[in-house]
Amino acid sequence: MPAKHIRDGVIYAATHVPTMSKITIDNKEYAFQGQPKLLQFCLDRGVELPHFCYHPALSIPANCRQCLVEVGMPIRDRETGEIARNDNGEPVIRWMPKLDTSCSVDMADGMVVRTHRTSEQVERAQQDNLEFLLINHPLDCPICDQAGHCPLQNQTYKYGPEGSRFEFLKVRKPKKVVLGPRVMLDGERCINCTRCTRFTDEVSKSHQLTIIERGVKNYPMTAPGEVFDEPYSMNVIDICPVGALTSIDFRFRARIWEMSSAPSITVTNAKGANCAYWVRDNLVLRITPRANPHINEYWLPDEDRAAYPRFNEHRPGGPRVRIAGELKSVGWEAAYARVSELLGSVEGSNVLFLGSPYATVEDNYLLGKLAASVGAPAPVYIPHVEPGAGDGWLITDDKTPNAEGCRRLGIHPVDPALVHARLEADEIAAVYVLEDDPVASGLFRAVDVQDIPVILHTYHTTNETIAVADVVLPAAMVVETVGTYVSADGYAQRVWPAKAIVGVNRTLRMEMGVSRPDSHGTPFDRWHNASNRVNCKPSWEILPAVARSMGLQSDDASPGAIMQEIAHTIGAFEGAAYESMGAHGVRLAEIGATV
Amino acid sequence: MKMPSPSRNGSTKAGDWRSYERVLLPPVRDLHRFDVYVKHGGYKALRAVLTHNRKWAPGKVTEAVKASGLRGRGGAGFPTGLKWSFMPPIDPGTPRYIACNGDESEPGTFKDRQLMEYNPHLIFEGILIAARAMQIDATYLYIRGEYADWIRHMEHELAKLYMEGYVGKRILGTDFSSDIIIHKGAGAYICGEETSLLESVEGKRAYPRIKPPFPAQKGLWGRPTTVNNVETLACTPLIVNRGAEWFAGIGPEKHPGPVLYGMSGHVERPGVYEYPTGMLITDLIEEVAGGVRGGKKLKAIVPGGASVPVLRADMIDGVTMDTESLREAGSMMGTAGMLVMDEDTDMVKFLRRVTRFYHHESCGQCTPCREGTGWIENLVTRIDEGEGTLRDLDILLDLCDQMEGRTVCALADAAAWPVRNTIQRFREEFEAKCRQSIYAMA
Repeated sequence: MPAKHIRDGVIYAATHVPTMSKITIDNKEYAFQGQPKLLQFCLDRGVELPHFCYHPALSIPANCRQCLVEVGMPIRDRETGEIARNDNGEPVIRWMPKLDTSCSVDMADGMVVRTHRTSEQVERAQQDNLEFLLINHPLDCPICDQAGHCPLQNQTYKYGPEGSRFEFLKVRKPKKVVLGPRVMLDGERCINCTRCTRFTDEVSKSHQLTIIERGVKNYPMTAPGEVFDEPYSMNVIDICPVGALTSIDFRFRARIWEMSSAPSITVTNAKGANCAYWVRDNLVLRITPRANPHINEYWLPDEDRAAYPRFNEHRPGGPRVRIAGELKSVGWEAAYARVSELLGSVEGSNVLFLGSPYATVEDNYLLGKLAASVGAPAPVYIPHVEPGAGDGWLITDDKTPNAEGCRRLGIHPVDPALVHARLEADEIAAVYVLEDDPVASGLFRAVDVQDIPVILHTYHTTNETIAVADVVLPAAMVVETVGTYVSADGYAQRVWPAKAIVGVNRTLRMEMGVSRPDSHGTPFDRWHNASNRVNCKPSWEILPAVARSMGLQSDDASPGAIMQEIAHTIGAFEGAAYESMGAHGVRLAEIGATV
Repeated sequence: MKMPSPSRNGSTKAGDWRSYERVLLPPVRDLHRFDVYVKHGGYKALRAVLTHNRKWAPGKVTEAVKASGLRGRGGAGFPTGLKWSFMPPIDPGTPRYIACNGDESEPGTFKDRQLMEYNPHLIFEGILIAARAMQIDATYLYIRGEYADWIRHMEHELAKLYMEGYVGKRILGTDFSSDIIIHKGAGAYICGEETSLLESVEGKRAYPRIKPPFPAQKGLWGRPTTVNNVETLACTPLIVNRGAEWFAGIGPEKHPGPVLYGMSGHVERPGVYEYPTGMLITDLIEEVAGGVRGGKKLKAIVPGGASVPVLRADMIDGVTMDTESLREAGSMMGTAGMLVMDEDTDMVKFLRRVTRFYHHESCGQCTPCREGTGWIENLVTRIDEGEGTLRDLDILLDLCDQMEGRTVCALADAAAWPVRNTIQRFREEFEAKCRQSIYAMA
């Protein structure tokens, strides 16, 4: 690249050919384009640099001063632009007089950088800075929720000083401050990185937090009389690099090392935001965001996080069958036999199959296959849309995770008037419900279906349709299954099991080996409590079993294999495979699926 | 005014300062009033700049300021004309600003207040000339909140200027328009830092910004902005009226012009004195300020506000008040607010008070300054209370290293310098206190 196109570190585009520049970090050369920031460039390449205030989604204030490095530029001849060289032919470097914060350094061609790996000065500076950060930090790690995944704790172990020379009273600041309904502040733990205030200023734009006081007394706070209640408030807990901001709901509930976290998505709405389910002893204790640049970046709305009790509470304890008007617990085989008996007693074309936007693509697909094999019309689903509830960001009007997946399978929203008319005309002889609650949704009243068989896959014992159901089949929820959901934006994403259920399912166990390598709460964990495992099955196990009990040909297949079949038979899923979805999903439109 | 004649003894760079005629604070009664100021030739320079389009084209004003050798009077001493020339070319539709810094809060500095009280129109005229030179749309005159009386006073005079057509739309009937807005500070020292001042004017928490970008590139609301001290801009009407050569001829060549010396501490006549730059420190103390109070011996001086390094009495022989000479002596010109300390001064107590100030005023943005200033105050207080150890002195010097040059703005440096220099230059006093302490053996 001709040197004259570079001036003051700015590359002037003389041609359309992308120009590659070079930077030397710790004696190793890297190529780059454009003008990236040094810290992010290093982090992307596994060159770790300690930092606190820097966050890739926020502006760069360079206030923690932890990521200091030595930066130098080769000396160039003013007229020719030639790099001056010493006797050995090496470029002569002019080092900046002060250390620079790598987060704010714009990279330039020929730049030379020394990190703590090659510079004692940098190593010392990082140590000095951590000594400063810790003098007024309470060091109450043993009772702090952040301990175990605390950037301050981790980086102190790696880069900090041996002890402290500080022999004075630490600064006292307010503790246990309720900033809002979901977030609590411990002012003394705060290291003033301003990530939280920058989040509310730049990302959520609620402007609810600011730094108050001055100097060493600084801490984040709302305006007098204001409450930190924005719908995204809990994100500041995730980005807080210390335990200053904690979740009112979660604080002191579990230590980080007692839980396992499984990658998954939230099912509170149709956005498909990526998350991690944190599980201890097969109870979901919290939900935190998982970075996905295409969908939710680093964020998760508070309502998605608040949804975790639904995975623990009101869960059923095995299948039930109505015998003489009473629901009685039975074994799974007996339940399947009863389903086949009920479905065999009616005209197949008169069975109403209700798919579910809560259920996975695979489950809905299998339901469609069952419907076809008994000669029933294609399933329809009950939409759960609250107009106006969405915010155009991570909260959608649609309160289900997979309506788009249903649509792509050819499962469309139900026409309530039509269902009503057919019920009136006695044209519906049985109802088969996949993971939904038609009575509570108002599709029909309990009395409307009192006299016909109702088969129900359900997550909860609070499902109102149970009152008229003849067979109740407990279904696995998103945290217990493997499957695919398609977001409103057309991203197909797969999930992994986060908690174990009763019974043996080889697929689930293998998948859990990937999502929960720590084995907490599994049968291999001697501390686990068997009563926290729900006696349910994924619908992709129930539906083939039902088909087989009706004498139909149906093989057990793993969800991955089912998705392969879907991709081969349905154009709207062409090319979809678990491999292509990976951990961050894939946009179906981009892999050639027809819409 | 006659040119300064060679000095009587020929040794001082300030020339014949005894016959110096004051130009920033001329002895005119009620000069703060608009009519009096105009009667004494006020706004002549502005009129010249606005009407003599050939002689005083905007670029030529900047050239004249460059030629005059004027250096900023706010503490850093940056050449003013050069700073003005950093403003990018005019881009129609992009407003340009001046932020005039009247937030003087450095301990020992009180010269801007004198100008605001006695010659406010010189400030306004200077602002307008600078505004013309750089094609400025609006000037924010930032005055520290504690100067409530002077703010009221300045606002009163500014209102008159608007009424008389000297500020605002079509100034003096020409096609030049420029506004002046007085912005009141809320009592934070950090707002005197130029980028912090910009944040404060924008209504934000006054955390200093990272540089680059510099204010000339991205200043107020991201627009080109020049930040100048009040006294600096007050010099520009003088340069226009009397010429750059006249200005350059006052005081030493590399740091010329009239300057307001704020004399405080243990002197007989503390106050603000206008003299040329390059005054002998001994002259300022002995002759101008009437000598050390009570005929005592001099112990130390701080030549330019609390943050510049302290000088022992034996270090000031022949040292003059200009950048070069003070650098050689191991200090800085700063704001020319000189603190004088007599032989009875306890230097540990002096440092204790200074460190308390920086602890109180650190904005808290950067870790080293936020944490270091408090720790330093703790250590110095402990030594002063008779509970310190010799090791504390080493820690103090270490902390200076850990703070200096590692923060966004220069407050950490300003907090570290007095600590380092006071300990180094008066180490025996600190050691004596440590030895008398209850932990002397530690």
